Amino acid sequence: MKHAKSLAAFVLALAMLLSLFTACGQKSNADNFRAQIHFCGSTSLAPVIASIGASFQEEYGTWDKVDSRFPAQAIDIAVTSGGSGDGPSSVADGTADFGMLARGVKDSEKAALGEGYAEYLVAYDALTISVNRANPIAGKLDNLSTDTIRKIFSGELTYWDELDESLEHKEIVLVIRDLSGGAAEVFEKNVMQGTPISANAIQSPSMGALAAKIAENPYAIGYAGYGVYQMNEANLFAFQVNGVAPTEENILNGSYTIQRPVQFVTNRPLTAAEQVFVDYIFSDTGRAIVRENGYIPAY
Amino acid sequence: MPKTKDRLWHLMAAMLAVLSVGLLLFLVAFLLHQSLPAIRAVGLRELLLGTEWRPVIYQDAPQYGLFHMLLSTVYVSVLAVLFALVLGVGCALFLACAVGDRLRALLVPYIDLLAGIPSVVYGFVGLYVVVRTMERLGRAAGESILAGSIVLSVMILPYMISACLHTMVQLRHRFEGVSAALGVSRWYMAAELILPASGKGILVSTALAAGRAMGETMAVMMVMGNAVTRPTLLGKGETISSLIALEMGTAEVGSLHFSALYTAGLVLLVLLLAINIGFSLLRRKLNREGVL
Repeated sequence: MKHAKSLAAFVLALAMLLSLFTACGQKSNADNFRAQIHFCGSTSLAPVIASIGASFQEEYGTWDKVDSRFPAQAIDIAVTSGGSGDGPSSVADGTADFGMLARGVKDSEKAALGEGYAEYLVAYDALTISVNRANPIAGKLDNLSTDTIRKIFSGELTYWDELDESLEHKEIVLVIRDLSGGAAEVFEKNVMQGTPISANAIQSPSMGALAAKIAENPYAIGYAGYGVYQMNEANLFAFQVNGVAPTEENILNGSYTIQRPVQFVTNRPLTAAEQVFVDYIFSDTGRAIVRENGYIPAY
Repeated sequence: MPKTKDRLWHLMAAMLAVLSVGLLLFLVAFLLHQSLPAIRAVGLRELLLGTEWRPVIYQDAPQYGLFHMLLSTVYVSVLAVLFALVLGVGCALFLACAVGDRLRALLVPYIDLLAGIPSVVYGFVGLYVVVRTMERLGRAAGESILAGSIVLSVMILPYMISACLHTMVQLRHRFEGVSAALGVSRWYMAAELILPASGKGILVSTALAAGRAMGETMAVMMVMGNAVTRPTLLGKGETISSLIALEMGTAEVGSLHFSALYTAGLVLLVLLLAINIGFSLLRRKLNREGVL
């Protein structure tokens, strides 16, 4: 009895040891058809693609239902979110089929993707300059110039009463996204233009956290994305920038300038299966999902 | 037959040991390899002592100084360990001296449970309780080193308590009979015998807690504001692990920024190894002197 027990322990330990070497060894190959399409990159686009993927899976289930040319394998749309930087790089090193970005594609990234480079513009996202609705400024000013915004975010204006004398002498709490992210870059290009952002700004790990911070703190100001702004419209107040309100129309026609494209890229011609899914993204269903997620469809 | 089995066991144990040591060596080597471009281009001195962190290329001159992050990491960890020390030693002393074996056996699992709570949950509680309270008390923004260290101290408390408790229970069993025979009160025993004697044990548990505090990311990131400034008690700060978590996803692979983040990881790892090695040397010395 005791002997059998120790033998079992031995076998188990051996199995554990062996599994270290074999875990990544499996591979399936059914006539080179890949049932999985892998998107990687921007945390802004990831939830959109994931829900379009889920809707696609729900509608068809297996690839042969989409088109009889395809084998009867389960549809698998895998979405990994890492950040805009991850998108092009994961395509370049072959870990993903599509790279998602919430910004323009850098020339260095285009070069790394080579000849077969193609981009698919899904939507626009704009940054609103938002404060808490409880901030008395919401009733006094509804327009800020780029210059004033720059002064606020660079820390030149530190207290609310420096912006308008009737406001409280309270510190302006700046809320930003991490300095190397897509949103930070849009803000840098369109507003800061080289002036460093105050070192005292709070860096939020996500857009949701940023909006939550503003919605909670009456002295906060931050660049909330158009999507999260709409979801929190009851608590947030967005300024016009240089007299232009952050409305869908103004964002699409380009007159509201603090905006960014949301897109995905690849480095090779699409396979038949990928083509079907990309068409699905740009269908009415896809469009509706893009809108549900707070972005403005670009098509 | 049993001999072959023994040899097999021995071989397997040796392999696993080599594997885990190898893993650590590989980790250090990998981090070093990835850090080299930044160390070459920026210089180790500038990386460690530079105070400006402006990592992105579209800003005129990228700067990669980790000094403020290092300072914040040490600041928040030391403060958290101090808080946890006061609370943890008190709690361990109570559990060791004031309650019987049966009640202790009932209470300790609840404290151990604290260690199993995911750190995001601590972060959320910190955000909505600690940060909010500080804002109600008049701070414009409650995110601060203080908030971070309060949250962290609760997170490392279970490690602190269980390590202290172990020593103290042993000491109690050693002194109990003598104290009772001499008619000394329980609290005299706790304050005059157990507490001084477990001092070295407390030191060791502090080391464990400090290591844990420095590596913690999520909860700290949520309540510290992540501003790259010189850390002050009520001011914001960004720890090394928060920096890596925030920026790794958006750094361009292969860029200097990417490499500088690896350097930050290397610095953290070296710091942790130094703490662990230092304290285990200390522990060995104390063991030899027979105080543990």
